Amino acid sequence: MNVIFIAINLAFALLIAPVIDGFERKIRARLQNRQGPSILQTWWDLIKLFKRPTVEPQDSVVSLYKLAPYVTFTAVLTTYLIIPTLLPSSINFVGDFIVVVYLLGLATLSFVIGAFSSGNAYAQIGSNREVSLFMSEELLLAFIIGTIAVIGKSLSFEQLFPLPLRISSALTLILLFIVIYVASARLPFDIAEAEPEIIEGPLIEYSGKHLGLLEYSIFLKRLLLYSLLLNFILPVQTTVRLVYYLIGIVILSVIYSTFEAYYGRFRIDQAVKLMKKLSAVALIVWIIALVGW
Amino acid sequence: MESQMLLIPIGILIIATLVGLSKAKIVLKIVSTLSAIASVVMIYIGVLGFRTTLELKYSLFNSSSLFASLNWLVFRVDSLSAFFLLILGILSLCASVYGIKYMEKYFDKEDMRVYTFNYPIFLLTMYLVLICWDLIWFIIFWELMSLFSQFLVAFEQSEEKAVKAAFKYFCMTKAGAEFLVLAVVLIILKVTSFNANYSEVAKILPAYLSAHPGMLYVLTFALLIGFGVKAAMVPFHSWLPDAHPEAPSNVSALLSGIMIKLPIYMLLRFFISFFPLKPEIGIVIAVFGVLTLFFSIMYALLQEDSKRLLAFSSIDNIGYILLPMGAGIYFLANGDQLFGSIALAAALFHTINHALFKGLLFLTAGSVMYETGTRDLNYLGSLAKKMPLTAFAALIGSLAIAGMPPLNGFVGKWMIYISTLSSPATSLFGIIAIFISAVTLGAFVKYFTAIFTKPAVKDIDAKEVPVLMSAPQLLLALLCIIFGIYPFIPLKMISQALDSIGVQISLSSFVIYPSLVVPKTASYSPIIIFSFLMVSTLIALLLIPSRGSVIPTWKTGRSEDLNMSMPADAYYKDFTEAFGEVYTLGNASKRFVQKVVKIGKKFGIQLEVLSYDLDSMLSLAMILIVILVAILGGVSL
Repeated sequence: MNVIFIAINLAFALLIAPVIDGFERKIRARLQNRQGPSILQTWWDLIKLFKRPTVEPQDSVVSLYKLAPYVTFTAVLTTYLIIPTLLPSSINFVGDFIVVVYLLGLATLSFVIGAFSSGNAYAQIGSNREVSLFMSEELLLAFIIGTIAVIGKSLSFEQLFPLPLRISSALTLILLFIVIYVASARLPFDIAEAEPEIIEGPLIEYSGKHLGLLEYSIFLKRLLLYSLLLNFILPVQTTVRLVYYLIGIVILSVIYSTFEAYYGRFRIDQAVKLMKKLSAVALIVWIIALVGW
Repeated sequence: MESQMLLIPIGILIIATLVGLSKAKIVLKIVSTLSAIASVVMIYIGVLGFRTTLELKYSLFNSSSLFASLNWLVFRVDSLSAFFLLILGILSLCASVYGIKYMEKYFDKEDMRVYTFNYPIFLLTMYLVLICWDLIWFIIFWELMSLFSQFLVAFEQSEEKAVKAAFKYFCMTKAGAEFLVLAVVLIILKVTSFNANYSEVAKILPAYLSAHPGMLYVLTFALLIGFGVKAAMVPFHSWLPDAHPEAPSNVSALLSGIMIKLPIYMLLRFFISFFPLKPEIGIVIAVFGVLTLFFSIMYALLQEDSKRLLAFSSIDNIGYILLPMGAGIYFLANGDQLFGSIALAAALFHTINHALFKGLLFLTAGSVMYETGTRDLNYLGSLAKKMPLTAFAALIGSLAIAGMPPLNGFVGKWMIYISTLSSPATSLFGIIAIFISAVTLGAFVKYFTAIFTKPAVKDIDAKEVPVLMSAPQLLLALLCIIFGIYPFIPLKMISQALDSIGVQISLSSFVIYPSLVVPKTASYSPIIIFSFLMVSTLIALLLIPSRGSVIPTWKTGRSEDLNMSMPADAYYKDFTEAFGEVYTLGNASKRFVQKVVKIGKKFGIQLEVLSYDLDSMLSLAMILIVILVAILGGVSL
């Protein structure tokens, strides 16, 4: 039963993740007084990319360069075994919060290694920023994990979904909301890609199928993070949960894409400093959780 | 009969040492082979030690007077020693085989006898530290180990840096060892009446120390400093980043992989079987662990020398071992058996993990040095195409040390987090450990990409290293993968090792095949994660096969090279600048220590001037003796 649920969840994620991006594009377009493409446009883009051939830059380390997009993609995909999306199922013995965080770390790492292997200087600069941002966002995330562990006395999602209603859990989820925004490579935090400056940074040499896979994994990662946040709030019952979940995804998309539409890009040092300041806030939230509020 | 096995490595290594005195070129091969054979025997003894306790007893002087505690030379291997013997065996096997080819490049430059004589004796002293069962003999072997490893650090005598580093290393560890001597003297004079046998000490000491808390804290202080210096615990770490890079790479692998783990072995013996468990001691150790891992990795991020980066990361990993050890003692003292045993198991798991991947990484750094002759990360680059096997090994090592699932580093770190994060007293330690783990990832992305993938400043002439050098690397990489996917093997050994020092870890409640599960707290299934990753990657490769043509790298449209590449010193500048306070603090404490050293030097010179004058020297000596007598009187000699 559980395995079937997981399969459904995986299929849902694979199918819907690009649609959500299409939806967000639509919202951004509307906010900027444009008509915007169809919601399915992201899917068409991906399909087109998957039909195109790939290239091997001369200076690249071919094996790593080629393998990296696949590993990035599957590392993100693996987290869907643990975090339920549409249906409330998780095989609890596969992993816990820590495992999810580290699998996302693996995705970032293989993305960065692939970019470094392309032999392009812009890719190096971009990846370097990506790692800087990753390290500083991990500081904030570490505090959030710690706070949640203190609140729920556990790291297993079985115990953590949903979080008990407390001041500290509300504050932590707000911080988680921010981290998700930072981790999903959007304006103002798409510093690693930064099209106008370093021409998509890590993605610069990737094309065709590779680029498709990398973009696909970014969409999957976003949906995963939305689901993570929603699961902390949603009740566990099946029927109501499904409706709430879908509504939640839509609300999150609207909020995030609104932010994205109105912001310019941060410089990397601004982003790192912001993460540091937020971590100080997170420290206070952690103390509140310790006190027991 | 089986116990006699313990003598075989001693015999082989002594022969190797004697052979090592000769100048002939063939000696290097003989010594390395003998050391490798001795290592294999050590591995065998390690495996044997998990089945039965091996013991050998020799009465040396047949007297029971002043030498009472030296009279009995006892060798004994229980599961804890067996665990460390296994690590020593695996690493020294790899390092010895690696050394056959690697050391050849020093033939014309250095006096090879420094290596061929000291290397086997260094292995021998580490082996003896692990198998001896007596505090006094332990101190003797410990000091010898420091002495001979120091000669190996100073192997390149022509380099002033190496000699200086060796001197610093020797002075610091010697000073640390004095604290150990004092602690041991205090124990055998005051408590056990000349009895230094571990079993006896474990019988008498805990009850005595429970009744005399003052003594407990004095001993804890002395032991933490004594072993802390050797383990490179912050703030006593400063010798390590100088000493480890200067030694030949296979020796660095041994120094980082196993030698700095021996203090961990002794700390476990002392704090768990000899001392009563006290929560505050656990917290103190954990705090030192957190300081150690935090500061060291922040400095590792700045390094531009491959082996120095690895050395700083070794300190970081000592932090990752001390942290769960302290937390484990804290939990056990508070009666939390489950988390206590998991935390201690995490400490041991990380010990074996670090030995494997740091040994591996030092060997890869050595291979790069062997081919290119440099450790400068700014200069190196794009070696992955020329040295694919070494690059593969280094990638596995980097992934493992960054704690990426499904490799072995992750299991150890995961156990650290699950045991610490949810308890209020240790939660903050766990949080910092997670953050530092991300920074470790940054440091090793730097290590790997700077050497193997970033475009080099100019074309570097290099080829793959010979089989004798790549085989040990691949063996270690393979072990990293196996222990990651199937962590039940090391966990079984660890539970036995902890059992032998009186910590019951009920493995059946923790290992629920194919997962590691702590009921209601955490779970991780390396086998499922690994197979899903593999299968889905293969499916993706089949469904979306990538074939393509080779095209020139994009150079903003220019036809010639951009001559643009990021040097290693530019990595993560934004991050390190934003965290500038850490470095300000670090540098301030460095200046403080330097001041102290200067004042100490001045005192030393004063004393030297004074001692020219016979009268004042004698009177000073007399005063010192009076003080000594007074102190010893206090401990009722």
